[in-house]
Amino acid sequence: MALVKARKAGMPSPVEDAGDPLVRLDDADPARRRRAAHELGERADAVAALAVRLAREEDPSVREVLLTALVRIGSAEATAALTPLLASEDVGLRNGVIESLQQMPAAVVMPVVAPLLQSADSDLRIFSAQLVGRLPHPDRLPLLTGLVERDPHVNVCLAAVEALMEAGHPEVLPSLERLAGRFPNDPFVAFSVDAARRLFAGS
Amino acid sequence: MAAPPRTDSSAHDDVPGLSPADYEAFCIFLRERTGLSFTEAKRYYVDRRVGERMAAVGTETFREYLNLLRFQASGEELQLLVNRMTVNETYFFREKYQLDCLVNSALDEVVQGRRPGERVRIWSAGCATGEEPYSIAIMLLEHWRKVDDYDIELYASDIDSHVLARAREGIYEERSLHALPRDLVTKYFTQIDDHRWQIMEELRESIDFSLVNLADPRQVAPFRDFDVIFCRNLLIYFDELGRRQAASMFYDALSPCGFIALGHSESMSRMSSLFVPRRFPDAILYQKPRT
Repeated sequence: MALVKARKAGMPSPVEDAGDPLVRLDDADPARRRRAAHELGERADAVAALAVRLAREEDPSVREVLLTALVRIGSAEATAALTPLLASEDVGLRNGVIESLQQMPAAVVMPVVAPLLQSADSDLRIFSAQLVGRLPHPDRLPLLTGLVERDPHVNVCLAAVEALMEAGHPEVLPSLERLAGRFPNDPFVAFSVDAARRLFAGS
Repeated sequence: MAAPPRTDSSAHDDVPGLSPADYEAFCIFLRERTGLSFTEAKRYYVDRRVGERMAAVGTETFREYLNLLRFQASGEELQLLVNRMTVNETYFFREKYQLDCLVNSALDEVVQGRRPGERVRIWSAGCATGEEPYSIAIMLLEHWRKVDDYDIELYASDIDSHVLARAREGIYEERSLHALPRDLVTKYFTQIDDHRWQIMEELRESIDFSLVNLADPRQVAPFRDFDVIFCRNLLIYFDELGRRQAASMFYDALSPCGFIALGHSESMSRMSSLFVPRRFPDAILYQKPRT
């Protein structure tokens, strides 16, 4: 016993699934669904099927591969298929969607996500602001400062402030000062703006 | 020192390094084929190594060299370039707290419910010149009290064929051994000259070293049923999507409740939600859930 001669020949043979991965995507076995989703990450025509499965998939390991497959496809269609899930009540799924969208090309994601900053749903505006803040795109700062300057919901503004601070651009400070004027009695706004002042003080 | 590569555009022929378009094309190609990701910040590093290889194979233009990488049937030149692009600096007992965690905590959990004589399978992914898998072997033999109760299989892989050859050879200089207690050097190595020691044959024979590109699903498909995977300071060379795909691959390679150890600057939570962080007295490992 102890250390034995390791030889890959002694490992189990890799599993190879037969049949259409689009069909296996609904298999009862999570491992088969994972493998099917992985295969479909190379097929641009699989976006709709992946998105449908993602919306009802409950196994976190399968969900992760579904999201990764859509990121690998990385098209405008894949982006459009993911963005409705930003409104999901499932926190894990929603966070997974935000992380996935930020890993897709910003030039593809931004045109789809930017309109969501005008949504009637303030929660959706918050999640969209978080995402926009992570996209390396020239519209990022104007979109976020627009929220800070005009959005009526304080939590949306605070999400935008947080994203702007992460972006680290001191030129947004005047917008943040005006936010403090819009919500003079809100201690969270005062705290956030003060934190931004201190962050950018050395600039 | 090799000359820097020439670009395809005559307007840039006297400018060192790749043109921006060539650099981008090269990075995309390298990422797709190997998972290795380099940004603009690594421009000088990449230029130097591509230039060395272009001079070595005698290609006149970068486009010609890229075609060689892309279409060479044997893949030999891509392999040689990858060997130059990856850094292989390591030493015995590096980040030893994780090895302590392995023998003090993780393996005891792994073998709970297993009968004596059953298998324990460990993989050192990105093993470079072999210091990590040999360190694991020494730690097991020296410090895991149940080492004789189980059949322990050690696998090690790297994308660099040159370092694997050195790992199999098992010859090290003082720099690699500086963190290893002298009594263990004496016990497990044979001094072959004033500056070099070779690890004992029994340990060299016990580890299965293999050339594996973690970005290639076909190459990692045979790696299954692992109890512990060490993948330290390797994924820093991957981009976000590459790390995410690697995490998924490790998930498939691990047994339920198996562990993965990352480098001290790496966090699985920034790569994937598939694993559960486990804080042991010596270190944090990431665990695959039971179901």
